[in-house]
This record gives sequence, structure tokens and C-alpha cells, in this order.
Amino acid sequence: MSEKLNQKGPVPGPDRQMLRRTLFLMAVCGVAVFLALLARLWKIQIVDHDFYQQLALSQQLRQVPGSAARGTIYDAKGNVLAVSASVDTVYLSPAEIELYGEDKELIASKLSEILDLDYEEILEKASRTGSWYVTVARKIEREQAELVRAFKNEYALRGVRLEADTKRYYPNSSLACHLIGFVGTDNYGLEGIEARYDEALSGTAGRSLRATNAFGTDLLFSQFEEYLPGEDGLSAVTTIDSTIQFYVEKQLRQAVEDYDIQNGAGAIAMNVNTGAVLAMASLDGYDLNHFLDVSEEARAEIEAAESPEEAEKLLGAAQIKQWRNKALSDTYEPGSTFKIITLAMALEEGAVNSESSFYCGGSVSVPGRTSPIRCWKSGGHGSQNLTQAVQHSCNAAFVNIGLRVGAERFYQYCEAFGFLNRTGDPDENLTAVTGIDLAGESGSIWWSENTFCSEKNLSQLAAASFGQTFTITPLQLITAVSACVNGGNLMQPYVVSELLNPDGSTAYRRSPAALRQVISGETSEKIREILEQVVGDPKEGTGRNAALSGYRIGGKTGTSEKVSLEAQTGEKQYIVSFIGFAPADRPEIALLVFLDTPSNESGIYVSGGQMAAPVVGKMFADILPYMGFEPEESESADISVPNLTKLSLEMAASRLEEAKLRYRTIGGGKTVTGQLPAPGSRIAEGTEIIIYLGAAPSEDLETLPDLKGMSYHEARDTLSYYGLYISSLSPVTDPDKQTVSSQSLPAGTKTAHGAVIEVALVSRDDAMLGIY
Amino acid sequence: MRYDSVRLAGFSALEPKTRRGGFDGPFFLLVLLLLAMGVVMVLSASFPRAYYDPGGVTGGDAAYYFVRQFVFALLGLGAMLLASRLPMGFYRRYALPFLALTLVLLLLVPLVGVKANGSRRWLGVGSLTLQPSELAKLAVILSFSVLICRFRGRMRSFRWGVLPFAGLLGLIVGLLVLEPHFSASIIIIAIGGAMLFLGGLGLGWFASAIGAALGGLALLLTFFPYASERINTWRDPFSSASDEGYQIVQSLYSIGSGGLSGLGLGGSRQKFLYLPEEHNDFIFSVVCEELGFIGAALIICLFALLILRGYWIALHCRSRFSLLVCAGISTLLAIQVFLNVAVVTNLVPCTGISLPFFSYGGTALLIQLGEMGIILSASRDMITERKE
Repeated sequence: MSEKLNQKGPVPGPDRQMLRRTLFLMAVCGVAVFLALLARLWKIQIVDHDFYQQLALSQQLRQVPGSAARGTIYDAKGNVLAVSASVDTVYLSPAEIELYGEDKELIASKLSEILDLDYEEILEKASRTGSWYVTVARKIEREQAELVRAFKNEYALRGVRLEADTKRYYPNSSLACHLIGFVGTDNYGLEGIEARYDEALSGTAGRSLRATNAFGTDLLFSQFEEYLPGEDGLSAVTTIDSTIQFYVEKQLRQAVEDYDIQNGAGAIAMNVNTGAVLAMASLDGYDLNHFLDVSEEARAEIEAAESPEEAEKLLGAAQIKQWRNKALSDTYEPGSTFKIITLAMALEEGAVNSESSFYCGGSVSVPGRTSPIRCWKSGGHGSQNLTQAVQHSCNAAFVNIGLRVGAERFYQYCEAFGFLNRTGDPDENLTAVTGIDLAGESGSIWWSENTFCSEKNLSQLAAASFGQTFTITPLQLITAVSACVNGGNLMQPYVVSELLNPDGSTAYRRSPAALRQVISGETSEKIREILEQVVGDPKEGTGRNAALSGYRIGGKTGTSEKVSLEAQTGEKQYIVSFIGFAPADRPEIALLVFLDTPSNESGIYVSGGQMAAPVVGKMFADILPYMGFEPEESESADISVPNLTKLSLEMAASRLEEAKLRYRTIGGGKTVTGQLPAPGSRIAEGTEIIIYLGAAPSEDLETLPDLKGMSYHEARDTLSYYGLYISSLSPVTDPDKQTVSSQSLPAGTKTAHGAVIEVALVSRDDAMLGIY
Repeated sequence: MRYDSVRLAGFSALEPKTRRGGFDGPFFLLVLLLLAMGVVMVLSASFPRAYYDPGGVTGGDAAYYFVRQFVFALLGLGAMLLASRLPMGFYRRYALPFLALTLVLLLLVPLVGVKANGSRRWLGVGSLTLQPSELAKLAVILSFSVLICRFRGRMRSFRWGVLPFAGLLGLIVGLLVLEPHFSASIIIIAIGGAMLFLGGLGLGWFASAIGAALGGLALLLTFFPYASERINTWRDPFSSASDEGYQIVQSLYSIGSGGLSGLGLGGSRQKFLYLPEEHNDFIFSVVCEELGFIGAALIICLFALLILRGYWIALHCRSRFSLLVCAGISTLLAIQVFLNVAVVTNLVPCTGISLPFFSYGGTALLIQLGEMGIILSASRDMITERKE
């Protein structure tokens, strides 16, 4: 094609073959390969776009949880039990420290000073120059965060960063710790209400979706950021009354100390008419703000451990133990407190009535049992009417009552009271829970229907009649006993009464739910009358140590031996308990106290009547006035001191004689210039008053003596020697035999003259000593 | 744009004494366009790597790579204009000395070269580094063109058509294997083959060479597990997405997430340290992610147009030498673009090949623009009206 042209010059032109081959290469390298590339790009970018985009996004995007505020937990009176606050977490960006040449030593020394951390550790973290995120301190307090921020700004540091986080605060520390529960570092509720209502409290956290680089930090100029709004958590209003909870814990803690309780203790206060839990305590408790810290004894044990693994194991065990809510998670054989349930079914079924009489010769034979069942009183109680049988907590009588009810009816009532749920399989051991809105509830353990109702062997029925050979939780017992005294309605126990929206409006309100009427109102009334006699009768009632002057209280003692433990180890251990309710004629509140394994060395007879009953009495002494119940005047009450000032000595003496008080004088004047104690104080009958005639009471302080174990009169006279006075919470029925079980101020307290010391009394006559 | 080549005395004896024409405008504009896009993409692709590397060479300066590439682009433009002014006779005359120089440099590389990633591929002078393999590509094109012209009429014989060329290729590839530099070897062999194809070598030789290459590949895969591992990674990169397949999987993420219209210039997320070599061999993945299929296809088409224009210039050359040089350089460009895009899209197994005008690398860019200058020089002597 171009031969002629090419021939003109000295240089040979391209020949045909070369041009042809050039054209061929042009077609391949200029067109074909690029068509292949375009096809390939089409496949990846258009056809498989979604697939690759999904995978790319999953590595590029980080979900950053937003700030859904966790709801507050309130008590019934609106006091805050748990609240979340914004805090900061401090972290370093060592790569930027390096990049901007920031002073590592300065950062380490200043941060270690502000945050009270180890200098070397922070310096080491600041030196990890490959990293962009190293946490220094989590959830620091506001003041510390301000100091860190000021330090950061002062030196314009880019390698020191703060990020927002939330922290849970429990203003009352350990109060109601087992009810409230706590949240872990990742803000999940782990125990109690925090766990059970975690979903409602936490709300839905907002999330911001951010594109990040391969290090996980934000892109430099990110155009991609999407915020998915969340919802703040709901707040929970509980039925807990912090004041009642405080009284309950105070007395329970005192009891653990007084009786040297080995294995913890628990208490529940419940509104008998609604099933609302007013207080629930379990000892030992722990500080919710530092829920990982264990008690000093446990820590000493851990520090003494031989290996770090051993120490870790001990720590874990101690933590789990202190977090355990005994009132909810422990099951036990209730013992004599369960006689209330037996009594209720027997009365309801007409198996017994007020005229029934029972004979106790110290033991009773039961078909199917080789040895007779013995009553706690080996000599026997003799002939008793129904009230006396309950007052005496007579096992023989209750075996009799149980047998009169019969196994099948007994079993049906146990189901009706919520102790078991029948499944349809008569050979299965049965269980039940109350279904309270708390995490960690255990279930009862009951004989199978066939075993319990066997006609040949009535030993299960006989033992169950006085509360042995099955286990239930304390919560189940108080729920059932509440039904027995509230008119017969079994209430569903609950803790959270209301959930509030973030704006304060009600999201959910719980009304008390009666599960069923188990017994009639008349039966319930009879039970109340009988149980009031258990506490109120100073001669025959085994619960008399729970009595409180001016109040009508009903209740029942319980002392249960840990039978399975004895079978295994031969060791005798007891759980002593008392369940009381008040006011006895129209009950509002029920209180159950159980003390697990009192020491034999405390000097006090191990029984519910001697140990648990006074505790319940003292709790009522605090709680009932708080709840607005005024004490009634009673004939055994203490005496109000008349005002003697400016009277002549003769006048004063006659006034005092009228008031059944004695006196001694100080000073030589004719008219009264002062008196101890102050007018209006209520003190014990026969106390010696000090009358000042011209002299003034000494300003010196006296050291309060230990009154425990003294009779009421001994204590009265001991105190009056120091110019101190006594009054009794318990009815004074036999001041020479009733002994002081506790005093309102501990021994050793420096006390001003004229102070009135309140004491609780227990009855220690020999007839009272027994396992009942 | 008309340049008078008469003043470039001394070389006129080799060419007919005609006034040289102006260079080819469309080709020049296509080069400028691609170069401008390439420099912008280097800025976009490289700044995260540069920014997040405070302890490395960049010192955290986000514009570090861009500034260097921009300076070399300006130098390269100068080199291109200079090369376009030199007459083709100059290249013809110095083709073989240039080849000799290149061979010396290639020999130096294994001895005094700069080592990186287990290979010695660079010669360093101060902060400047040079890959002699880049020079070798041009040297093969120029020297083969000279020899093909010289052996005119004897190209079908084994002695003249095969032996000297195969010997040269063997020598160069042998030196590259010492580095080792596998991808450059492939390109050198391919471009050498293309030159021989243009030079009129019998097609039978190509058939046997391709057969031998396939046989060699089979042997390689059997005896070198490293090679067959590469094949497996190629066939299923997701099976080893965290180690061997990481790079290609990240590349596919980038390309695939670009979609039709892309995330917008500068909008790549994969370049934030997910995608390795994002401003180098894998810059085209960032192009795809940011500009989408539309932008990527546009760039592919611009490359195709440039290459077609290069062949078009070759077809209009008066001399065989000019044709061979222009077609050779166009073919080299096509091979590089194809292999680069084929690698990042996992069309062929992964190997390190840069994308002309786009990948970061100063001396390589300088040489590529010089090559474009040679085509422009040849375009000055084009037959303006070819009579059929």
C-alpha cells in the first residue's frame, strides 16, 4: 500500500506484513483486552455490588452505642435507690503522643497523680506507639474528669482523651442490696431488680454508625455517619420502703451479732393485703457501689490463701455468697411456723374447731413410722384446747390435726397456698415458686403425691404437719401466712409497682393480684385470734418474746433442725425463725425473720422463741410507729414522770408516791430545783427519781453498763445508781423473771444523766425452753 | 504547534531532510488527561496512609506522596516534550548503547540494589530510586526495533530471527530473576514477543514458545508449592481473606462497593488502611470505589483511546523503525494497563504491576512520559495523507 512512497527515502518503509501484524496487535491490545476488563468491572461493580458492599461495610462500620440513660429505681416513698450518672473514661492515643511529640513523662506523672494510678503503668501504656486507644481509667468521678480535662487543655494534649460513659450509683450503699441488685461494667443488670427489669431499665441504646479506618478510629473526613436514635430506660418505682428496710436490717444485723449467727440471716416485710414486699434483707450484705469487694473476714481468708488460683477461687465463692439473697434463694424446712398453714386448713375443713381438745403425752405414734414422733416437751403438754396447742406449739397435737385433715386434703391445700404445683404425674417430686419479680428465686421441694398420700405410711403427712421433711423459701412462707391472716387471699408477691416513662408519666402500673382465695374470712379471723394468743399470752404463749407494749401482734415461732445435714455429718444445726403480723385484728404488715445456725455459745437458748421472736418484736417497735400506728395504753406500761419543779419536797414526795415511783434527794433546800429524769419521760415502775433541792444535776457523763441478761428490776436499779433510767418496749408482766435482751444504746456509751434507756425483754422461764 | 527540527543538527543524515511536522495533538491531550487524573488519584488514595504513618517516611504529612508525584509529573512533562523534539534517528543511534547501559544497571541491582519486601529491585542515588527493569522495557523495544530493521529479510531464519533476540531476552530475564522480579520478567517477555511478532518472525515460533511456556508453568506449579498457593488464592481469595488473600479481597471490597457511580472523589473508605498498596499497585481499586463503574470505564476507555492512537501513529510512520517503536510502546502500555486492572479485579493471579500515570512512583512516571515523548516524536514524521 505504501511501497512507492517508502522507496523514495533511504530508510525502508514498513512492509504489508508488518502493517497487518500492527493492525492485529491494535485490535487485541487496543480493543479486546479492554472489553475484557470492562466486562470484569461490570461483574464486580454492578452485578456483585451488594455482596461486596455488605462485606466492606461490615469491616468499615463500627456501631458506637449511644447514651440511653438507664432508668432510676425509686422506693415507695420516692427516694432514689439506684441512679445512673454520666462519667468519663480516660484513654491515651500513644500514636498521637508520638506524632505530636507530647511529653510522655509529664502525661504519666500528672495522670498518675490525678487518677491515683501507678506512674510506671501509665508510662508503659503511653509508650505503645503502635496503638491509638489504650484505656487508662474507666468510669472516673466528675471531679477527676475535670482535672484531667484541665490538664489536657493546659498543654493542648491530643494524645490524652476522655470519652463519655455511664456509671450506676447506689446512694444507700448496702441498703436493700439484694433487692436492688447491681449492673456490671458493661451496664447489664446482674442481680435483683436490676437484672429482672434490665430490659425496661436499660431502654434501647441509640447507636451511631460510623465509618472507621483499619485501626478502628474515626475516619478523617467521614461523610458517613448515621445515628439510630434510642430510647431512654424506664424508671422503676418499687414497693420497698427504705425506712422499714433500714429498721429491718438494723435489727437483723444486731441479732447476727448478739446470737453469733454462723450462716447468715434473712428477713422479709410484706404488706399482707397486697403482697407488696416492703423490705427484704439478707446478711451478710455488700455495698452495691463496690459489689466486687468482700467482707474483711473473707478478705483475710483470701490473703492467707496458698496460691493465686486458690485466692481467686475463694474470692469468687465469697462474692457469690454475699450476692445470694437468702430470703429468696435459700430453701429450708420451715418447722413450727408452718403450723399456721396446718391450722388454717384444719379450721377451713372443719377438721378441728375451738372446742377440739388434744392430749400430748410427749410423743405420738404414726402408721408407717417405726419410732413415735416426739413433742419438743418430753414430759408432754397434757390436755390442751386448740388455742393452747398452737400457743404451746405442740407437735403431738399438730400431728393429730394433720391426720384429721388427711393426706390428700393436706396436699391440695399445700398446692393452694403455693408450695407446690401438680404436674399430673403422681410419682414426681414437686416444686413451685411465687413468681415474684426478682431474679434468683428458688423453688420448693415436695414429696410426690403418691409418696405423700400413701395410706400405709403417714410419716410424711405427720412430719409435714409441723413443718418438716419438705423445703420451701422464706418468701413462700410469708406469702402463704399473709393469706392466712388477710382474709384468705393468696396474693402474688411483687417488688415493682410502677414503671415510669422518661417524662415521668406512667408506662405500666401493677395492681395487687389475688391469685385465689384459699380459706374463708371467718377462718382467717380465727387464725388471727389464735396467733395473737401465741404472742400476747404472757403465761402460755411461746411467742411472747415478740410482744410489744401497746400493740396487738400475732405470730408463730419456728425452730427447724437441718435434718439432712445431721444425717450427713452428725452435726446439729438449726434455723430459728419467727413470723409475726400486726396489728393482730386488722393486719397490715407481716414480718418473717430467720437466723441460720446460731452459735451454741451465745448464752441464749437456741430456739425461735428465744432468738427470733425478740428480733421481730424490736422491728415492730420501730416500724409500727413509723407506719402511723399509735400504741394503746396498757396496764403493764411504764410510768410517766410528773413535773416536780418548784414544788416543795413534801408535795413532790406525795406526787411520786401516787405515781408509784421512789426518790432520793441531792442538796439541802426546801423546794425542788431540778429532777432526773425530765418530766414526761416514761420509765419503769418503782424507779428511784433524783430530786435536786438547790443543787444542779452534774454535767458529767456516765458510761452505760451492759444490761443484757439482767432482770428488768435489776436493770432498773443498776441504771438508777448512775442517774440513768429504763423503759421497756416489751410488756412488763413479770419484772423479776423477764430479762433484758437488748438496750437502745450499746454498753459503753457515754450518756448524760437522766437519759432513758429503752430495753426489750425476754421471758426465760424454764417452761419456755424448747425446740419449737 | 510546529517545531523546526532542522536546528537539531547532527542527526539529519539519518532521516530525510524534510521539515518535521508538529506532534500529534490527540495523543498529547490523552496523555495530559490521564496524567492529571493519575496525580489527583494519588492524592486521594495516599493521604490516609501518609497521615497515619507518623513514625514512617511521611512523618504524618498527608500530602507527602502527592507532592512528590506532582513534581515528577512536571519533570515528566518536560521529559516528554524533550523526547518529542529528539528525532527518531537519535533513538535509533543510541538504542544499543542504551541497552548496554541498562544491562549494566540490571547487573548492579543484585549487587548494590535497595532491598524491599525480600527483593532487590531498586538502585538508589540519594533519595532518588530507579527500577532498571523500567528502563529495560524501553531498551528491549528500542534495541529490538533496531535489530529487526537491520536483519530485514532474514527474520524468518533461526540464526537471525530467533537466536540474538532470545539471547537478549534470556539475559535480561535472567538478571530480573536474580532480583527476583517476576512481573517485570513477564512484561519483558511479552513485549519482546510482540516486537518479534511485528518484525515478521514465523508464527510457528510463537506457537512453540507458548507451548513451552505452558509446560514450564505446569512444572512450576507442580514443584513450587508457593506458586500453586498463589493459584489457589486467585481462584478463591475468600478462603484466606486474612492472610494471602487479604490484599485481593480488600481490593474486591473497594471495587465492588463503588457500584455504578462510586462514593465520590475522595470518598473511599477502603483506603483508610484496609487496602494495602492503595496508592501503588492497587490505586485502580480506589478509582473504582470513588468514581464507580462510570469513572473506571471512562479511564479504561481513555487508556484504550491512547493506545489505539499510538498504534494509529505507528501505522502512519514512514520508517519501519518508527513503526516498531510506536507499536512497541503502545503494546507495552496496553500490557501494563491490562495486567494491572486484571490483577486488582482478580482476573489473573496477584502480582505487582503498576498502573501507568496513576501508580505512585517518580522515576517510573518519568520513564513512561519519556516513552510517550518518543511516540510524539515519531508522530512528527507521520505520513499526513496516505494514498491507497
